[in-house]
Order: sequence, then structure tokens, then C-alpha cells
Amino acid sequence: MFGVLRKIFEFAGSKKKLLMKAMVISFCGAVFAAMQFGALMFALDQVLSGQQAGMLPVIAILLISVIGRILCFYYSVNEETEVGYFMVAEKRIHIGDRLRYIPMGYFNDNSLGNITAVVTTTLSEVENSASRCLVMVVGGFLNTLALCLALTVTDWRMGLIGICGIMVYLFVTEMAQIATSKTGPARQMAQIHLVEAVLEYIQGMSVVKSYGLEKDNDQMAARTIEESCKKTLSLEASITPWMAVRQLVVRGFSVLIVVCALVFYGGGTMPLSRCLLMLIASFILYQELESAGNMSDTLQMLGATIDKANSIDDTPVMDIDGKELAPKDAGVAFENVTFSYGNRRILDGVSFTIPEKTTMAVVGPSGGGKTTLCNLTARFWDVESGTIRLGGRDITDYKLDSLMKNISMVFQDVYLFQDTIENNIKFGKPDVSHAQVAEAAKAACCHEFIMELPNGYDTVVGEAGGSLSGGEKQRISIARAMLKDAPIIILDEATASVDPENEAELQAAIDALTHDKTIIMIAHRLKTVRSADQILVLSGGQIVQRGTHEELMKQDGLYADFIGERKEAMGWKLA
Amino acid sequence: MKEKKKESPFILLWSWAKDYHGGFYGSVLLAMLGVAGSMAAYFSVAAMIRILLTGGGLDACVPWCLLMLLGYVAKSLCSAASTALSHRATYHALRDLRKQLLAKLSRVPMGTILDTPSGQYKTTIVDRVEGMEPTLAHLIPEMTSNLLIPIFIAVYIFCIDWRMGLASLATTVIGMTAASQSAKTYAVKWDGAVAVGRKMANAIVEYIGGIQIVKAFSQSAGSYRRYADAVEENAAYYKNWMKENQKFMCIMQTVTPSVLLVVLPVGLLLWSRGSLSASDFMTVIVLSLGFTGPFLAAMSFVDELAVVGTNVGEIGDILQAEELERPEKKVILKDRKIQLKHISFTYGKEDEQVLNDISLTIRPQTVTALVGPSGSGKSTIAKLIAGLWDVSSGSILMGGWDIRDIPLDQLNQQIAYVSQDNYLFDRTVRDNIRMGRLDASDREVEAVAKAAGCDSFIRALDQGYDTVCGSGGGHLSGGEKQRISIARAMLKDAPIVILDEATASVDPENEAVIQKAILALTEGKTLIVIAHRLSTIADADCIVVVSKGKIAAQGTQKELLESCPLYARMWQAHIGTKDAA
Repeated sequence: MFGVLRKIFEFAGSKKKLLMKAMVISFCGAVFAAMQFGALMFALDQVLSGQQAGMLPVIAILLISVIGRILCFYYSVNEETEVGYFMVAEKRIHIGDRLRYIPMGYFNDNSLGNITAVVTTTLSEVENSASRCLVMVVGGFLNTLALCLALTVTDWRMGLIGICGIMVYLFVTEMAQIATSKTGPARQMAQIHLVEAVLEYIQGMSVVKSYGLEKDNDQMAARTIEESCKKTLSLEASITPWMAVRQLVVRGFSVLIVVCALVFYGGGTMPLSRCLLMLIASFILYQELESAGNMSDTLQMLGATIDKANSIDDTPVMDIDGKELAPKDAGVAFENVTFSYGNRRILDGVSFTIPEKTTMAVVGPSGGGKTTLCNLTARFWDVESGTIRLGGRDITDYKLDSLMKNISMVFQDVYLFQDTIENNIKFGKPDVSHAQVAEAAKAACCHEFIMELPNGYDTVVGEAGGSLSGGEKQRISIARAMLKDAPIIILDEATASVDPENEAELQAAIDALTHDKTIIMIAHRLKTVRSADQILVLSGGQIVQRGTHEELMKQDGLYADFIGERKEAMGWKLA
Repeated sequence: MKEKKKESPFILLWSWAKDYHGGFYGSVLLAMLGVAGSMAAYFSVAAMIRILLTGGGLDACVPWCLLMLLGYVAKSLCSAASTALSHRATYHALRDLRKQLLAKLSRVPMGTILDTPSGQYKTTIVDRVEGMEPTLAHLIPEMTSNLLIPIFIAVYIFCIDWRMGLASLATTVIGMTAASQSAKTYAVKWDGAVAVGRKMANAIVEYIGGIQIVKAFSQSAGSYRRYADAVEENAAYYKNWMKENQKFMCIMQTVTPSVLLVVLPVGLLLWSRGSLSASDFMTVIVLSLGFTGPFLAAMSFVDELAVVGTNVGEIGDILQAEELERPEKKVILKDRKIQLKHISFTYGKEDEQVLNDISLTIRPQTVTALVGPSGSGKSTIAKLIAGLWDVSSGSILMGGWDIRDIPLDQLNQQIAYVSQDNYLFDRTVRDNIRMGRLDASDREVEAVAKAAGCDSFIRALDQGYDTVCGSGGGHLSGGEKQRISIARAMLKDAPIVILDEATASVDPENEAVIQKAILALTEGKTLIVIAHRLSTIADADCIVVVSKGKIAAQGTQKELLESCPLYARMWQAHIGTKDAA
């Protein structure tokens, strides 16, 4: 239990002090709460002695106790809430900041989905329950401790028994956590399998149905559901006995307090009024401790959640100590560049030079290293060995920001933000005027269709009325790159255009974007390949051919095969 | 669909768990026994106080001590047993509910499933169902017992002295009044919290999802700021809300349990006037202290109640969705002719018609191409023929039968539907291909893989044909997945093949290979094709031009070039950009 509390404490980061303060105030509140025993004792004394000493002191003590409690509770809860929400905010910002320096190549759909889930769902769990957990667990524990101290003041023996109770209770709770920590992961695995099975069932349903495999598939899903139910029940089965044990400990000590009070009274070492006080105290002494203990399962889950959030810190970060530099020209060069992904070598000793304002087309089989070559240029990854130069300088000399100023990328998978079209276009340059946005849009052949949308440039992408065809999205992404106006363009040419009726516009947009720039392109279209200043044929991570179209067509080899195949594919007829 | 009266979520939930009601009753019964045990402890201590105050000997206390112990043991064991029982019942009920949900999904139109993000279904089936656990397993037994204890105690105190009864209720009344104050603004503030939360979630999804763009376009500018701002705003909103809200909640949380605040002064007053005996006074003190704990615990379930509606609603939506109704009994198809008779189609409840009065005849063993601008509805026609949805009006006939009268599996045997995304299961490559025909031998599987142009890359995989594809085929490239799914479709050997932009997502390096595979797949079949490259289908027996949900024209390429200006325009655009070397 304390392990997790420490974890929360560590997680609190710069809010640690506030958290400490909250706990101290919470303890003060517990002391105020314990004061009602004083009032009770005062009243008991009067009743037992038969002498009326007036109600004023009783009322005064009670009022102080209640008001003190309200104030302390209010402040500590507020602080704990603030800690809870702001420590999570801090973590979110920390992760967001870190993402900027994690090599781009680390991201894929899977890891992005995972990070998004952590930053939204997982951390929301922390912000919602961490503070509540802290209030309940720490507050409950302190409350009981304060009550025990109050008992000690009246009779040290009773205080000792009370504290023994706390210790035994904590011990049992710890034992329970150890016992359940074995079944917990098994249950978690079963839940993960359940998610996978449900997703596979739904995503694969069209296949299953069209091949008439429902029976087989139903059985598999049913088995996983069964498994998840079984594992959950066995987790519950391991928790429940401990629940009984915890209750027995608390109740047992309550009885012990009653019995001891009676025995001490009988032995004459405790006055009747104290004995009665103990009898009454036995009911409330452990109340809060118990509710704290009941949170222990939540606390354990919280611990696992925090671990998950912290795991993002394990991802590698790039070395980013560059300088604010402007390149002297926009030429790009690779010198003996090697790059591996895991154990697989993707690029192996690749060298080339692209003079300023020329075009290099990269062709070759899929998996040959074309995309990696582009990503290395933009420093989405760092090379393993060799050097990449921009304007004669190693790209790692540049600050990431000043490097990226020089490069525009047009990806095959177009990502548009769920924002207005205008904002999407000026994403790279937020402070340009509308006229400039429209100009870029016109050049990228998007102005016309944008104006036909219900809200024109203010139409929000993805929302009703803002559903764009693939080709339209592509052109918006080109307008975005156009506005950035970087001297180097990295272009992953779209394979088959998603809406063929607009292919001519798309082509015009690309032509406008690439005019007078240094261009690295993964080319699929024969026209673009042919007009490139140099062509690189990449296969198995190595440059197998290079030259112009005319030169390469004269040679036997991959390039000639590639051209042949493309022609064949283009001329393909189904009927 | 019958118009159903909206039932209370609790009634619905309770009806879903109907097979396990016994377990829940048992658990409530045990919880109540536990309550009785607790009450026994209170009685015992009250009795002991009376004994001590009337000068009785300690011997007289012994049985009461034993009773107290017994009561507590009973309480501990019964409440644990109650929890165990309710969890058993709950998780079995949830298991059944999940199975029911999956079974239901297999009966709704396939199109509905394809149109809904699978993450949404996953959330409902996994998370929302799980979200009902606190309600079923805890709320039912625990709220019952936690409400019963205070009621019993209150009744007991009132029996002793009604004035003390009122006094001991006083702080609870104050606390509840405060709580109701906070509840007043809660709904408004909650809406605000949801809005701020959604804004933040959007900013996060956007920032992380678009990290590639963020990096490529504005390393340090706007979007990161927006992300950070949204995160800060979210935290600040909660902080301020809680600050306001906590005022009342604090009063409730602290005043409610401070029963002595009223009980002691009133008791002292009554006692000093001689109208309350010392032992009754003491007893009331004991009892009133045990009153608020369970009450507050019961109140903590109120939050739980608020989410039940959402969870139950989402699950209910799936369970009550419209089903695709098909007969079980096979029919005898007289041929493979497909006829569309005046069909119209509208998605769900939207009013925009996707298809409007389409009639078309597709003769066996011919090639029919559906062409048209994006959004024209050409893909919908293909999906309706494949039985993914039912038409809104009109009918589709196959071999003389309305396809709604043909059992789904029989219809599926006739049709191989190949689209851009073809799902691979997390099984071996061999098993994935074999799904096309379960009794195919290894040799047949490999032969078909060869024909689909995937034999060589499969053999290059670590485990060859026994390589596991990863969930969703994640270990393979898009083009590889495409080719395996074409192999699967070839193995099925269905007489009707529908190609819905089947090669659009293929990497160009492999396009030629896949095209060959498709030619092999479609030989001698009825072929319905939606292609983006018009030259591909120029020689089709019939080209159907679809525009705005209607058939604009149909005929051969030659006929259409003369008669259909839309087609002529599309052809020109295609030729103009045609990428010939």
C-alpha cells in the first residue's frame, strides 16, 4: 500500500510540496475530529458524577472540532484535487514535449494509438482517482492514528491496543495485496485477450461471413469470453477471503478494546467514565481505517496505471543539441549512410548528391529503403553511421527546428487536423493572411472546391459538409506545403489516385509545389520519373543503379524491368 | 421495428441478469444477515453500558461480550460471502451479455458493422459491460445493507427517546441540505467538464495522431501550444469547479458524521432536566455514532447510479438494432443472373438517398463495370448485391429469387467480394488462405497462393506458410495482405466475383503481380468491377455509368463515348493523365 503511495508521491513531481502540505492539513483535521472525544469525556464525567457543569464547554469543544474539521477537510481536499489534476497535466505536457524529440520512426499506428490511450484514458484514471485515493487512504489512516493518540492521552494502554490494531490491519492489507498480485496479471492478460478477440470478431466478420465460418469464429470468441470471466472470478476469489480477514481484524480489535476496558475497570485501574468512553470509542476508532483499506484495490490499480504512464519515458529520444543555422544552399548529400531497424539493415552505405534545385527520383521494390531514405533526410531517425548534409553541413549540426524550416514533406497518407480548412493550410505558418492562404490554395487547385463547401475556408474538416475526397485532401496537404515554401520538398507520390476524375488537378498542384525546388521523391508515375534529373534505384538497402531515364533504359536491370512492369500495369485490362 | 417503450435502465439491466437473480437475492440476504450481526454488536454494548451504570457486575457483561464478538464475526463472514456471491452472479451475467452482444452483431446487416468504427463496438462490449460491475456486484447488496443499518439504528433510537432520535438525525439533515446545494449546479458544471474534457481529448488525439505533420511543419509553434493549453485548461476547470463544489461537499462529509454536535448538548439538557436516564443517554450516543458511516457509504453509490444510464443505453442500442432477416432453408437457384429492380437505398435514418430507382441486369459470365464520380453510389450497388445491406425499396434477384429469401450462407457461397481492405486473422498464413475452403489440402493452398503471386514472398517469411499474420495481419505489408486475401478468394472459387477498387491500396511495385492474380481469379466468372482506371474496364461487356445515385447510361465503351457526355468527359480526363511512358 505504501509502495503505491510513494509512487503517487513521486508522480506528483513539482506538486510534491503541495501534496505534503495537504497531508499535514489532513492530519490536523484528524486531530480536530479526535477532539470530540474530549467533549464526550466531559459529558460523561458530568453524567457519571451527577454534577451539572454546564453545557458551554461541551458545545464549545464540539464547535471547534467541527469547524476545524470542515476547514482542514476543505483545504486538504482542494489541495489534493489540485495535485491530482495538475500533476497529470504536468505529465501530459511532459509527454507531449517528449514526443517532439522521439525519433519519428518510433511512431506507427500501433504506438501512436497506445500513446494516445495513455495520455487520454490512462491519465484520466489517474486524475480522477489519485486524489480521491489519497484523501481516503491517507486521511483515513491519519484519522484513526489521531484517534489512537487521543486514546493514549486518556489511557496509554488503550492507545497501544488501538495502534496495534492499525499495524495488524496494515500488515493484513499488505499480505492481501501480495496474494492478489499473482492473480491480477493473469486477469489483465485475459482482459487483453478479450479485447483482441472482440476486435478480431468484429473486424473479421465480413470475411467470416463470406466464407461461412461463423461457427468456428463464434466458438473462439465464446472461449475467450469464458476465459475472461473465469480469470476475473478467480481474482475475486483470491480477494474476498482477505476482505473477510481485514474485517475480522478490525472487529476483533474493537472487541478487544471493549474487553480490556472492562477488565481494567474491573481491576480498578480505569475509572468508569473512561471505560464507557472506550466502549463508545470502539465503534468509531477503525471506521475510517476500514474505508481506507477498502480503497487498497483501487490503489493497486492506480499503481499499475502510473507505471503505464511512466513507461512512455522509456522510449528513446534523439540528441537535439543543434544550433540555429541557415544552410548556405539547398543541396542535399548522403555520405555512406547506413541505417538499421532492429536487426534488419534498411540502408547500407548509401551515397548521393542532389545539387540545389534539382530533382532526384527514388524507385525500387517495396521494402527497398525508399521511405527510410526520405525519413532520414528529415531527421525522423538518426543515421547509424555516415553523414547526411544540407548545404554542406551535417544535419545534426542544425537545431531540429531550423532543419525543418528547410524541408516540406508531402506524405502519401494525408493527415488533416479536425480544424477549419484555412487553419489546416496555414498549419506551418500560422500568421499568414487569408489572401496568402487563398493564393496557396489556388496554386494547389483547391480554391474552387473549397469555395463550393458550405462554409468555404471555415469548413471544419471531417465534420458534416467537410467530408473531402482523397484527392481533395491530398491537394489541401499540397497547399499546406506550398505555403510553408521550404527550399527542399520530400514527396511520397500517391500511388493510385483515390478519385481519378481529379487526377489532372492533383498533377498540376504537384507541379506548382515543386517548381524551382530541391526535390526528393518516391516516384510511381512514369512521367515524373522520366523528367527527374537523376534516378536512384534502391534495392535491398543499396543503390543498384543510378542515372537519368535515358541512361538507365539502355541498361538491363531493375529499372528497365520496373518501367516494363509499370507499362504493363497501366495497360492492364480486365476485359 | 416495433416501437418500444423506453424502459428504465435499471429494469433493463436487471432483465439482462435474469438467469442469476437467485445469486443476487442470496447476496442481499447475506448482506442483511451481516447487518443483523452489526446490530447485535450495538445492542451488546448498549446492554453493557446499562449494566455498568446500574452497578451490575462484570460477570453480567461476559455474555454480551461474546454476543458482540459473534455478531462481528457473522458480519465479517456474511458480507464477504455476500460479495463473493454477487460477484459470481455479476460476472456470469456479464459473460452472457457479452456473448449475446456478439451473437447479435452477427445478425445485423454487415454494412452497419463496416460503417461503425470497431473501436466503438469494442468499447461497448468490453468497457461498458465491465462498467456495470459496480452496479450489479456492489450496489445491489451493499447499498441495501448500508441503507438498512441506519434505518434500523434510527428506529431503535426513536424507540428509546424520540427527542434524541430527532437530535441524532440533525447533522445528517444539515449534511444532506448542503449536498443538495452542490447538486444544483452539478449538472451545468458537469456539462462544462465534459466539454473541456472533450476539447482536451481532441487536442491530444490531434497532436499525437498528427505528430508527423507537427514535426514536419511546426516543430515548436502553434499545435504544441494548443495541446498544452487544452491540458492546462482541463486541470484548471476541475480545480475551480471542485473548489466551489467542495464547499458543500465538505460540509456534508464532515458535519454528517459529527452527530455528537447535537446529540451531546441535547442529551445533556434532557438529562439535566431529568427527562432522560443516564443509560439511555449513553446508549443513544453509541447508536448515533454507528449511524452515519453506512449512510455516507450508501450515498457514495449515487455517483455510480448516474453512469448506469449511459452504459445500459449503449448496450441496449446494440441489442435492439435491426437485424438482417434471412431464411434458413436453401433455395434452388435456376441460374446466376442478377437483376436489380427499381432499387433505392438510404443509410439508416438519414434522409439523403444514396441510390434512387436503379434497375440493372447482370448476365452470368459477363463483365460489368460500375463507373462514376466518387460519391455517386457505385460502391453501394456492389455492397447491396453482396448482401451487406438490405435495399430500402425495390428488390435484387439472383437466379430468380429475391436475395432476401436466400439464406445468407448460400448467397455468400455464390459471391466473392474483394475490396481494398481485406482482413487477415491472427493465425498462420496457411490458415488464413484456407479460410476460403476449409477442406483444401496444403497442396491446394500453395497452388492457389502461387496463382495469386504470393508464394514467393510467403516462402521468404520466417516460418513460410506457418508464419502467424499478427492481429489484423499486422506483420505483413498492405500489398502482401491484399494478395493473400485474393488467394483466399480464389480458393473459394465462387461463381460471382465483385471487385470493389480491389487494387487501389496496392503498392505500385506489386500492381502487375496482383493484376495477374485477379485475372486468374476471375476467369470464367460473372465479374462486377469498380475500377478507378477506366482503361482497365474499357472492354467490359457492359459499363454502367452511375451519377448521383442514378444510372446515367449503360453500354459498351464505344456506345457510351457516343451517347454519354459524362462518360466521354471521364474518359478524356483519364486519357489526359494516363501515365504512359
